[in-house]
Amino acid sequence: MLIPCPYCGPRDLAEYTYQGDATRARPDPATAGQAAWNAYVYERANPAGPHREHWQHAGGCRAHLVVTRDTVSHAVLAVAPARAGEPS
Amino acid sequence: MVERDSPLGPLRRPGRHGHSRGAPGVRLAEVTPAAICEAAAWPGAEAALAEAIGATTGLGLDATPGAGARSAEAAAFGIGPGRFLVTGRHDGLVAALAAAVPADTGTVTDLSHGRTVMRIAGPRAEWVLGKLFAIDFAAHAFAVGAGRATAHHDIAAQIQRSAGDAFDVCVFRSFARAFWAGLCAAAEEVGYEVL
Amino acid sequence: MSPRRAAAGGLVDRDRPVRFTFDGRPYTGFAGDTLASALLASGVTLCGRSFKYHRPRGVFAAGLDEPNALVTVLRGAVREPNVPATQIEIHPGLRVESQNRYPSLAYDVGAVNQLGGPLLAAGFYYKTFMGPVVGPLRGTRFWMLCEKAIRRAAGLGRAGREPDPARYERMNAFCDVLVVGAGPAGLEAAEAAAKAGKRVILAETEPAAGGSALWSGETIGGTPAARWAQERAARLAAMDNVRLLTRTTVWGYYDNNVLAALERVGDHGPAAAPGEPRHRHWTVRAGRVVLATGALERPLVFPGNDRPGVMLAGAAERYAVQYGVLPAARLAVFTNNDGAYRAAAALARAGAEVAAIVDTRSTLSDAARALAAETGAELLSGHAVVATAGRRALSGITVQAFEAAGGRLSGPRRAIAVDGLAVSGGWSPALHLASQAGAAPVWDETRQAFLPPQPSGRGWLAAGAVLGTAGTAEALAEGRMAGRRAAGQRAARSRVPAVAAPALDPHPAEVIAIPAPGKAFVDLQHDVTVEDIRLAHREGFVAAEHVKRYTTLGMATDQGKTSNVPGLAVLAAARGKPLGALGTTRFRPPYAPVSLGALAAERYGHLRPERLTPMHDWHVDNGARMEDAGLWKRPMIYGQPGETVAQAYVREAGRVRAAVGIIDVSTLGKIAVKGPDAAAFLDRVYTNTFSTLPVGKARYGLMLREDGLAMDDGTTWRLGQDDFLMTTTTANAGKVMQHLEYLLDVAWPDMKVHLTSVTDQWAGAALAGPQSRAVLAACVTGTAVDNETLPFMGIVRGAIDGAPVTICRLSFSGERAYEVYCGAGHGLAVWEALMEAGAAHGIVPYGLEALGALRIEKGHVTGAEIDGRTTARDLHLDWMLSKKKPFVGAAMMDREGLTGADRHRLVGVVALDGRPLGGGAHIVERGTAEALGESIGHITACCYSPALQRHIGLALVRGGKARHGSRAHVSDPLRGRFGPVEIVSHHFFDPEGSRMYG
Repeated sequence: MLIPCPYCGPRDLAEYTYQGDATRARPDPATAGQAAWNAYVYERANPAGPHREHWQHAGGCRAHLVVTRDTVSHAVLAVAPARAGEPS
Repeated sequence: MVERDSPLGPLRRPGRHGHSRGAPGVRLAEVTPAAICEAAAWPGAEAALAEAIGATTGLGLDATPGAGARSAEAAAFGIGPGRFLVTGRHDGLVAALAAAVPADTGTVTDLSHGRTVMRIAGPRAEWVLGKLFAIDFAAHAFAVGAGRATAHHDIAAQIQRSAGDAFDVCVFRSFARAFWAGLCAAAEEVGYEVL
Repeated sequence: MSPRRAAAGGLVDRDRPVRFTFDGRPYTGFAGDTLASALLASGVTLCGRSFKYHRPRGVFAAGLDEPNALVTVLRGAVREPNVPATQIEIHPGLRVESQNRYPSLAYDVGAVNQLGGPLLAAGFYYKTFMGPVVGPLRGTRFWMLCEKAIRRAAGLGRAGREPDPARYERMNAFCDVLVVGAGPAGLEAAEAAAKAGKRVILAETEPAAGGSALWSGETIGGTPAARWAQERAARLAAMDNVRLLTRTTVWGYYDNNVLAALERVGDHGPAAAPGEPRHRHWTVRAGRVVLATGALERPLVFPGNDRPGVMLAGAAERYAVQYGVLPAARLAVFTNNDGAYRAAAALARAGAEVAAIVDTRSTLSDAARALAAETGAELLSGHAVVATAGRRALSGITVQAFEAAGGRLSGPRRAIAVDGLAVSGGWSPALHLASQAGAAPVWDETRQAFLPPQPSGRGWLAAGAVLGTAGTAEALAEGRMAGRRAAGQRAARSRVPAVAAPALDPHPAEVIAIPAPGKAFVDLQHDVTVEDIRLAHREGFVAAEHVKRYTTLGMATDQGKTSNVPGLAVLAAARGKPLGALGTTRFRPPYAPVSLGALAAERYGHLRPERLTPMHDWHVDNGARMEDAGLWKRPMIYGQPGETVAQAYVREAGRVRAAVGIIDVSTLGKIAVKGPDAAAFLDRVYTNTFSTLPVGKARYGLMLREDGLAMDDGTTWRLGQDDFLMTTTTANAGKVMQHLEYLLDVAWPDMKVHLTSVTDQWAGAALAGPQSRAVLAACVTGTAVDNETLPFMGIVRGAIDGAPVTICRLSFSGERAYEVYCGAGHGLAVWEALMEAGAAHGIVPYGLEALGALRIEKGHVTGAEIDGRTTARDLHLDWMLSKKKPFVGAAMMDREGLTGADRHRLVGVVALDGRPLGGGAHIVERGTAEALGESIGHITACCYSPALQRHIGLALVRGGKARHGSRAHVSDPLRGRFGPVEIVSHHFFDPEGSRMYG
């Protein structure tokens, strides 16, 4: 499987590290309650179909990417740097 | 000032090795320059950083992914978003670059001892590197001066094409022997000469 | 001349005889022969014994679909089992053994298995050996009793026990177009793509390109097909943008057009050139893929269809045309399609006598009749072979009139004496790679074959027989079109070379089993018979995938190549459904066997690369026994002659407490944290505050995970206002780096912080002991090192032996201690200068064992205690939890379950019986050596303490501090250790820290 890194181009899966569900956002420590933290740390949807995931190109440019991937077909539908926010 | 040791130690054995028919397929050498550093820009300051690197090294560098440039004195190439590996023949380069990069542009981190650079040159360089790295070394896909950040198993590597048939591979110093041994093994088939 | 070598013809080099041995006997073939063709030429028909019944078997096919003639190749002391004889190119020195026979191939004791036939029917293993133990001769216990004997009797070749000295390599390749298969369609596709300027890789399993052109006897563009293929291949190989890989089997098709291939670089010669691998594993990343993988001929299913001498018709044709070998002197052909008539004609032309052509169909094409007439054979249309005769070789067949539509045999049985029978049940497209890529094959009733579906997207294209296309002219046209489309050109039809070939009917009759009594095999390799599949069906297995697993149909190297469709046909008939309604099993990688060596390639011996510190050679030269710490090599002890490990570390640790010792700490993770937000960032990732740390000072820091559990600890040094050097434990360096990068990229993208791994930039030496300051004072220039200039947690810069150094005063051992950092390239010089300066003070180098003893005495935690289950409070590090600011883990660390009084918390334990403790041993309140009590915790680290002169340990024990002063037992049944311990504070030694601060 290849993931197209926006900086490096398509690279082997082996160069990447899975870094978790990208649909969650870290709660604001100033306002978030225990339930919000619990959801952030533990609750995952595990959908069959398109899913947004964080992958770090650890064996390359080291950037974190938001990869929209179909968990059924493995098709990578969109990739964007995590710093840029929404995937293109 | 004491000399900087090579990490290769007894593993570096100058001379001809491997397949001995005809000219060697590749020549291998440690070419760690005196100065190595990583320069990183804050988001939006990539071009300013490239300019500062250019002003310090005389290299014409742009901030597009993987772009790079080389001269007899220095080399630089992109290794990640806003990040460049910059090397030079003279050890004053790191301090000069640090002085040339203002705090609101980015940072410069000295790696002169932390990285080891090996050059693989010769007609079979692409073939030998193809055994170690899953990136495309063909000339049309990897231009002279351009750079790539990749990995051989656990060994992170930053690679610049230094000439049509030559590549400079930069690895963490602690992995230098392991990588050198792998490089030599991969080159045995085509015959190699250690300079 | 060999008995079965035709007088002329074939592509073998008759001027180059090659000698080899089979089961110890010498044979001679010609360069260009496979082992199979050379053995057939020598009149050898018996090549092996079958999997279950030990029935004699001969060569059945001519390519990698060979199910029978699996042999063991001997290379030095190395045995490579289960290699098809059809895939071995003979060469001087080749040594081969037959398999699954004892004591010899001709007289095999295991053949008695044939008499007990029903005993080994489908599901035999499940029925006999699985499930509960209900009696002495049932269940898994019985299996354990019988396994050895059964494994010896049933099976294929035996693997060797010697290490394989051969070299294996991997190669990464990139191309615009990968063409799989270099038959006429593949050659045409490759040329079309290459002419369009694309980078092309053309992979071919066989030693030479050409595919069916090598034996079809056709002409292409007025040239004999074999020569056309040779010329075309040479032209392609000469192009700069084409890589022609022969002896290369593409065996796996993965996501995003990543394909795996095995190139057999060195198997066809006696010895590899220096540095040349035996096998090369290719990972090809292709823009487009053209599958021109051809088709595999199917056998017909009839009683006795496995006897040596029965062979696929296409294989017999290939032996005659490509190798100049006659598989038999007088043979019959049994077919349900026209293709076998071309084979019959080719065999007759090569000099064989074709006695009869038996065809299940009653109406035949004119072209078939013409070819039959040319052979002079008796044409028995509307007939079937119902039995074969002969023991170790075929001596004759029995035929009977057959009505295909009703599947009925009738009339008198008639024997025909032959020593060979060429069979053809039609052709199955080799669509394995398309199936791996996710395409479910579709049954085509007209072609009587599963076809790959129309591909979509930027995946594969296909051309030739893999699409069910029978004719060479069509294959060439499809190849050219696929090549053009793969190159991104318009798929316009264009003129391809004219092909001269007989106008045969491309469609076979329906696939069925001949309904005559006797063992009729659908899977020759696994001895699966028609009756096995019917039995599986009667027992309720109706899905193709289930029947495959229950009967072992299509397993092992065959992978359904010859057996798939005949097996499904029998199942379909049993279910009373059309074959197309059944579907087929999904094909998975590998398409053909792959050597494990090629998959491992350079990762042989040690699986991962070593990391070495700058002082590595010094350690080794000075007696260090090296130990793995992740990828790093670190000194465990510096042993002196006659010393045990325990004696060495007790001596080393004692010297540290008494005088001074030095240890290499270059392996600690080091991360440069820079930028205007660096201090604020550290405040967020550490539980304690770093923004208040003055420049030139260090502070011990603790990191939690988001879930509130402890993650890592270390000191961080403030080198400048916006410039920190973070250290991590050796083990967690990479994990911490990724954790911090994630937070900056994802959680706090607006923070201006840069992280760079500088682990390798700095060599580090820790100098510990009462004399450490004196040693530094003797060798450091450019700075004072007295208590005022360099207090605890202070940082100074200076030089040692001319090398710039940064010195931080911090202690892991509890002694006055300093970490001296310098550029890694100066590490050895600085180390040696410290040793030299320390000589007057009795300095010793110490290793991880002594370091461990020193830290256990002090109660300092490491990865053994920060084990992913402990909180800061469990480790008594709650004094580091800031209440003034949020930090990672703060919100979750006080959750229910992480704060109770019954948490396992850090304590010390002292052995009261004076015997060593063991890491991982349990602590129990009550119990005896025999009756184990309930565990209340476990020992995380232990040592003999030189300072206390007792065996001590750190432990995580339920209740923690509340148990101080109480007694318990260490229980370590695995190592036979049970004894009393006292639970004490984890601060064993100098709890006030007076030795460290002074």
